[in-house]
Amino acid sequence: MHRLLSILLFFVTHALCGGQEASKPTAAPEATQSRALLKVNVTAQPYDLQLPWQKQSPVNSRGLGVVLEGNRVLVTAQLVADATYIEMEQPDGGQKLAAKVIAVDYEANLALLESAIDAGKAKAFFASLQPMGIDTSARIGDAVAVWQTGRVGELIQTPLTISKILTRRYVVEGSGFLVYETTGIIRSEANSFTLPVIKDGKLAGLLLSYDSKNQVTTILPAPIIEHFLKDFADGAYEGFPGLGMEFQVTLDGQLREYLGMQPDSPGVLVSAVVKGASAEKAGLKKGDILLAINGHTLDARGDYQDPQYGPLSTSHIVRGKAYVGDAFELKIMRDGQEQVLKGKLTRKNPEDYLVTPYRFDKGPPYLLMGGLLFQELSRPYLDSFGEQQTENSALLRLNHIARHPDELEEAGRQKLVFLSNVLPTPSAQGYDQLGGIVVNQVNGRTIRQLRDLDAAFKELKGHTHVIELDDFPHVLYLDAAAVEQDNLRLQSGAYRISGLKRLE
Amino acid sequence: MTLRLFLLPFVAATLVSGSAWAQQEGQRAASQVPPEWEGIVNIGVSVLFPDYREPWNAGQPSGGSGTGFLIGKNRFLTNAHVVSNATRILIRTTDDPKPHPAKIVHIAHDCDLALIEAENAAPFEKMTPVDFGSIPRLNTEVIAIGYPIGGDRMSVTRGVVSRIDFRPYSHTSVDSHLCIQVDAAINPGNSGGPVMQDGKVVGVAFQGFSGRVAQNVGYMIPVPVIQRFLKDIEDGRYDHYVDLAVSDFPVENPAQHKALGLKDDGVGVMIGDVEPAGSVGGLLKPGDVILAIDGNPVLNNGLVRIEGDLVNMNEIVERKFAGDTIQLSYQREGKKETANVKLKRFDPYVRLGSQYNQRPRYLVYAGLVFQPLDRNLQDAHQIRDASVNYVFERYLTDKLYVERPEPVVLTTILPDQVNTWLTPYAQSLVDEINGVPIKTLDDVKTALAKKDKPFIEVRLHEKNRPLILKRDLAEAAHPRIMQTYNIQEDSYLGRD
Repeated sequence: MHRLLSILLFFVTHALCGGQEASKPTAAPEATQSRALLKVNVTAQPYDLQLPWQKQSPVNSRGLGVVLEGNRVLVTAQLVADATYIEMEQPDGGQKLAAKVIAVDYEANLALLESAIDAGKAKAFFASLQPMGIDTSARIGDAVAVWQTGRVGELIQTPLTISKILTRRYVVEGSGFLVYETTGIIRSEANSFTLPVIKDGKLAGLLLSYDSKNQVTTILPAPIIEHFLKDFADGAYEGFPGLGMEFQVTLDGQLREYLGMQPDSPGVLVSAVVKGASAEKAGLKKGDILLAINGHTLDARGDYQDPQYGPLSTSHIVRGKAYVGDAFELKIMRDGQEQVLKGKLTRKNPEDYLVTPYRFDKGPPYLLMGGLLFQELSRPYLDSFGEQQTENSALLRLNHIARHPDELEEAGRQKLVFLSNVLPTPSAQGYDQLGGIVVNQVNGRTIRQLRDLDAAFKELKGHTHVIELDDFPHVLYLDAAAVEQDNLRLQSGAYRISGLKRLE
Repeated sequence: MTLRLFLLPFVAATLVSGSAWAQQEGQRAASQVPPEWEGIVNIGVSVLFPDYREPWNAGQPSGGSGTGFLIGKNRFLTNAHVVSNATRILIRTTDDPKPHPAKIVHIAHDCDLALIEAENAAPFEKMTPVDFGSIPRLNTEVIAIGYPIGGDRMSVTRGVVSRIDFRPYSHTSVDSHLCIQVDAAINPGNSGGPVMQDGKVVGVAFQGFSGRVAQNVGYMIPVPVIQRFLKDIEDGRYDHYVDLAVSDFPVENPAQHKALGLKDDGVGVMIGDVEPAGSVGGLLKPGDVILAIDGNPVLNNGLVRIEGDLVNMNEIVERKFAGDTIQLSYQREGKKETANVKLKRFDPYVRLGSQYNQRPRYLVYAGLVFQPLDRNLQDAHQIRDASVNYVFERYLTDKLYVERPEPVVLTTILPDQVNTWLTPYAQSLVDEINGVPIKTLDDVKTALAKKDKPFIEVRLHEKNRPLILKRDLAEAAHPRIMQTYNIQEDSYLGRD
């Protein structure tokens, strides 16, 4: 069905192109070409988060990659997320080369590609190409251009002017990164907005998003790209560091007075500190007034004066300018006293969170036991329910738990294991309507992560598995022998489940 | 997942126009309405729908029409939803042009029944009250009599008893009782009218299905529910239904059956959850098995046999009254136990259902509007805040009522220079004010009265900053805001 559809589309596209060609003037214009751009064609297949043993339908997307030194190609991470096949294509000649991801950062939304096959072919493929340099000098008011390639590789330039520079989250949850914002119309030649933004022939950024209604473009800027490449260059990619704290602006005069702040004094109110992150390790506490980071004074909005960009959110001082392992210094006010807190920047990886904030390329961990499906709670799982999250009672509860990880982490939980669904099997008879319930204990063993569950089921002494839940009906029983039969049936029967577990 | 169908209580949405009623006096002798039906009357109601968004306003006037019937000396039975939020009730008989003002004597929202009386009893003295029958048999004929849409005079429709079941009563949306389904046409306006068999009342027509999914589905309140209501009010007070306040989990799974140590006689249902504030809080716990109530064996699916029919085990409790005792036989870890349980109403339930005849409670201070969280508030404000939704949705199941009997929401902030930085924080749950934990709306008043500090400090649930008001500025702004936003009283905390 899917194949049929794509063939159909292919023909339609050709017919359209033919029509355009016919209406063109006969004298062919001189087409400029860029030797630093490659089409990147990606087939991606995300996992089905609710039935985690299977994958969703493959999706194709196309973007433009930028050739860098060492025959590497830069694209957004979004483009290659959950990729099953990646190829690079020369815009004019059409030669193709299979590619692989050698570095990816989903928070910074950047990925680096390389040839997936032998070096000889890659060398020939890259011979006619020219790496592009990076330009981090862009400021508000600068002219840049989005580069795209046409049907035969001709360069299509869309000029834009940078109107704002700010920080914003890219694709996944987390602290903000630097962003250039421009206004103007872009017509995408590809089906994704992974396109290079050029300033004076050098790479100034990659297109991040385009809001066609308001014609606002956001650009992932060169300083972040440079940071990513530099981090990768030393061999061990560590990622962008974070302080792990939230703050509240102090523009409200009554709040300032309450906090004991002078009318024109700097600083923001620290409203949350992430457990185990850099700021907490340095001694920052909720309720502190944060006055300065690394010598940059913060105003009541939490902005510092950046020499290049003007007032900019404090998050750029850490995210954009520093690396994991760098020393940092916080000037704070606590109980009316100024203090200086010092520490080393660290990074909390997605796996280190009780509720995994994002996951790509890897299948979600799960365990099936006689029809009972257990999973580790993740943000993408909750998000896969869309609007239902605000209405469904079980999802509201899981969401509530996800917002309060601290108490559960203190209780020793590494991941939140829950019964997500029940497939109708004889051993799970009567349990079909259950779902979205956190697991506390199985066969007497406390469940801190999915591996515990696996171990608990294996070490059963008697004939009945006892599963203790933290919500109605609080306890479930499974007949061990019936479960084994059902497990076989789940694999060979109607469900054809390839594996009963994925523990990572 | 089961399909959720919405039940619609039948109150005609429009006001009944009284003029069409005018009949010629002389026609009385020729009336087709038999004399024994004279006591089946039309009830016209003017209502005020309380305004939970502007709780200081009186509300939205509206009206409706339903049916009632004489069951005793100047006593008319009707549905609670017919006379809820009424400001004026008028009784009209089918052949008398004169409206008779009436008032509510007792109203029971949990079973959607009400008793009303005419202010002047004289016109009804000669009428014969109807008699009650019992639960009709399946597939036997019944007639529904009332004043539904489609005309002004009395209407009769006919059908059979389709089903006898335990069903939700949509008036409060949280109560379920015994309910009889009939296929006689029951339409808006029939509400409160009798359903009769062999000249006796076997039910009160009260709800149907809205939408196009089901056809010929009407519901009536059966006699046991009516009689329970009449008995409850005998002492001059309605004491509400009592509840076990447990959730049962059917024993269908063979391993579960074995692990619970049950016999092969089909008896015993597992307890999945127990409300600590309910009748058996502290006695039962999840994993226990209820074997029998008052000697009636409870089957694996939670049903008991009463008068030959299988009904939900709650039906035994349903027929009891506050303070009554039941004998509970249950099994814990294989050991049989027996206990006598004194039944009581489970109050936290009430908040989750729609409430009527109540003036919205609120407190305004310096433009901050505080209101208690309940279904009426949720329906009016459609709050999207995740923590408010969580607290409302899981109020019972996560036992949140234990810590927070009456969750308080900062629903609105009426903008003024004093609170201009706080407006984004409207529709949040209030945790604490001036160090006082907010468990009820009254706590807000107590907390604001604490004047030991120059600041008022409002802490919201899952919001990482306190809302701060300088007391002197807030005190000065308060009367100004009251005047600007046309608020007469700055609080209504309820009758004491």
